Amino acid sequence: MEFYTNALSHVLSFGPLTAMIGATLLGVFIGALPGLNPVMAIALLLPLTYSMDPLVALAMVAGIYNGSMYGGAIPAILLRIPGTPASIATTFDGFPMADRGEASKALKIACWSSAIGGIASAIALMTMGPMLARVTLFFGPAEYFWIAIFGMASVAVMVGSDPVKGIMAAVLGLLIGTIGIDNLSGQARFTFGQTWLLGGLDLIVVLVGLYALPPVLQLAEKCDLKGLSAAQLKLADVPFKKGEIRGLIPTWLRASGIGIGVGILPGAGGNIAAFLSYNAAKNASDDPSSFGKGNPQGVAAAECGNNADNAASMIPALALGIPGNVVAALVLSALTIHGLQPGPQLFHQNPTLVGGFMMEMLITSVLIFALGGAVATRVFAQFQRLPGVLLVPTILILMCVGVYVINGRAIDLWVMLAAGFAGYFLEKVNFPLAPVILGMILGPMAEQSVRRALLISRGDMTELVTRPISAVLAAVTVLVIVWPLVKMVRRRRKPAEQ
Amino acid sequence: MTLKATFIGLTAAAAMAAPAFAEYPDRTIELTIPAGAGGGTDTSARKLALLLEEKLGTSIAILNVGGGGGSVGASQFMQAKPDGYALFATWNSPLTTVPQVQDVAYSLDSFTPIASTSETAYTLCVKADFPVTTGADFLAELEANPGKYTYGNDGIGGTMQLAAERIFQAKGIDAVAIPFGGAGETLQNFLGGHVDIYGGSISTVLPYVESGEAKCPIVTSAADVPALEGASGLEALGLADKETLLWRAILGPKDMDPAVVEMLANVIDEAVNDPSYVEFLATKGEVPNVVKGDALGARLQSEYDALAEVSKALGL
Repeated sequence: MEFYTNALSHVLSFGPLTAMIGATLLGVFIGALPGLNPVMAIALLLPLTYSMDPLVALAMVAGIYNGSMYGGAIPAILLRIPGTPASIATTFDGFPMADRGEASKALKIACWSSAIGGIASAIALMTMGPMLARVTLFFGPAEYFWIAIFGMASVAVMVGSDPVKGIMAAVLGLLIGTIGIDNLSGQARFTFGQTWLLGGLDLIVVLVGLYALPPVLQLAEKCDLKGLSAAQLKLADVPFKKGEIRGLIPTWLRASGIGIGVGILPGAGGNIAAFLSYNAAKNASDDPSSFGKGNPQGVAAAECGNNADNAASMIPALALGIPGNVVAALVLSALTIHGLQPGPQLFHQNPTLVGGFMMEMLITSVLIFALGGAVATRVFAQFQRLPGVLLVPTILILMCVGVYVINGRAIDLWVMLAAGFAGYFLEKVNFPLAPVILGMILGPMAEQSVRRALLISRGDMTELVTRPISAVLAAVTVLVIVWPLVKMVRRRRKPAEQ
Repeated sequence: MTLKATFIGLTAAAAMAAPAFAEYPDRTIELTIPAGAGGGTDTSARKLALLLEEKLGTSIAILNVGGGGGSVGASQFMQAKPDGYALFATWNSPLTTVPQVQDVAYSLDSFTPIASTSETAYTLCVKADFPVTTGADFLAELEANPGKYTYGNDGIGGTMQLAAERIFQAKGIDAVAIPFGGAGETLQNFLGGHVDIYGGSISTVLPYVESGEAKCPIVTSAADVPALEGASGLEALGLADKETLLWRAILGPKDMDPAVVEMLANVIDEAVNDPSYVEFLATKGEVPNVVKGDALGARLQSEYDALAEVSKALGL
């Protein structure tokens, strides 16, 4: 306990505190602007902090990271444009809520859920960090393979009314995921001699095109010249029904658990956490068909899940020196520049700094409660009032700038444009877009893991299911596929009995 | 992005405010790093850039272009203007290893070598309960059990794998290579017992050697490495000519002005040997090693030729 009280006194001094407030606000903005993402912002800011007090630098990382995970929900709810990959699942129910005039309520739920997920995750980091880090070591290639398959099985469940289209969309994502250098053979696949394709298609570039362009084109179709007056903006507070908030508690608990679980595994990420949480909420619900039509539970699950991933993803980085994602790698690189050696000794080597960073992850999550709500409704929601003729070009410019700076090359803009037209077309013929992105993320993970696992087992397939954890994961995957079927059969049988 | 724009804007303004007596550099230098933000190459380059900014009196904007084991960044960079305002901070692999396995658009002639900065060896490590400890016994154990042990490495055809295979070929050893995404991922699988041998950078595994969880019989440099007590250098094993190192360098596009190259090489030399940078390198298990201009070109060429031989034998 002394560990944290000591760290807290350092964190609550002027520098780190202002950095946390400023960075959380900045993070919300970064998350809310499609194309800009926390990784880029942290990569740009961190070098500027090399000469600063490390606690101030880490405060900025914590603020941007947590703030942006919530910020992504704002355009997801208001415009159906996910601000970050992790907020795709938020669009499913967030936008339908906004569409029927409950934008303010949806934003509130997103804000609370993000804060709660972040707080739960930070507490897990502070209390069980080193222990959970050891658990992640049991996950080898065979286990990662099953996690990827589990994720894909969840896609099958969320595709909605037309599973065939959903599966086709997922396969499209899998195909896109095969582009680039194959890490296991060193061979370039589907690059057609183009150097820029060697690294594969960038997830953010495809995401921005696929997800942001179709809504923008739809806005353009409306040809709206006037915009809304303050009175027309449908932000009227729809009051929460009695017991509605209490009803969200199980969803928050479940999503926090899933987010933390996904977060501690190096290589998985907030986007997977959000999808799995959303899916779990849908499966647990008495009325799964209400999901996708503006069920507050969906918003709560997705937003809570993606923030719960954050602090947890720092666990393997801080406790083992194994960065699970780019943000964690950047934090480790900042620590090395300040002369610290990541690894098991880090906690003893510099308890003030490590403890302080954990406190900062916690405090910035709490700050989302205070800052997030106000920023979202007072500032961002007002963008909805802009006439389409202004809103459309503004978003387009932001998208282009955001995509260009990822790799600093113009070809990415063409990729974005192509992905955008593909997305627009797919939406017109009622294809779900989420499976495309999930296929892109999970496909390479599944392929590489299974090939590594088979290399290790010298080609013995049974090792994929005979290891204790992989066996459990395989069983759960089967359950996820079968459970909705069982439910459906039961529901059909009931009316027949009456 | 607004942030970057502001940043560049500010630094450009600062550069313009500087007196015009020095012709070069009088504006922002763009430093391309062929790896994502946060990795070893990135961290070393960013830290060095801070010192270079001070010594050159100009600002340095960093551009991370990852992917393809560094070949994406290298291909993009080779098209830059050779005016001294575009520099490339890389590790050796994209130049000497990657072209062996990938059909890349560049060759060593596409760049002007300026100066190398630092280097470190790779290491092969096992868990504390592995039956043998010394380098000679370790190689004998691997030789006696063909196909029994798996070793994790940084990627197929990567410098780390070639470094190991050069030793293995010399000794007739058959170990199963398991390619991972990087040293962190290799470490995770090594600690979890999914692979028998860790193959990768020293700094990543060092904390676990210090805690007694791992032991490292071999480093891939000819000499021993002070940070890893008990690890044999290759000279002690009679394999001095099989040395393969991980090293870093700064290059420019083809046809740079020799005067600018010489000036930059000297500034880099100063920056690398700055006590703060040497100390920083030490935490990562690296040591400064500045080889300038044409000598650097010769070093790249000889490494390229040696690795071409191994990868041909591996059928890559």
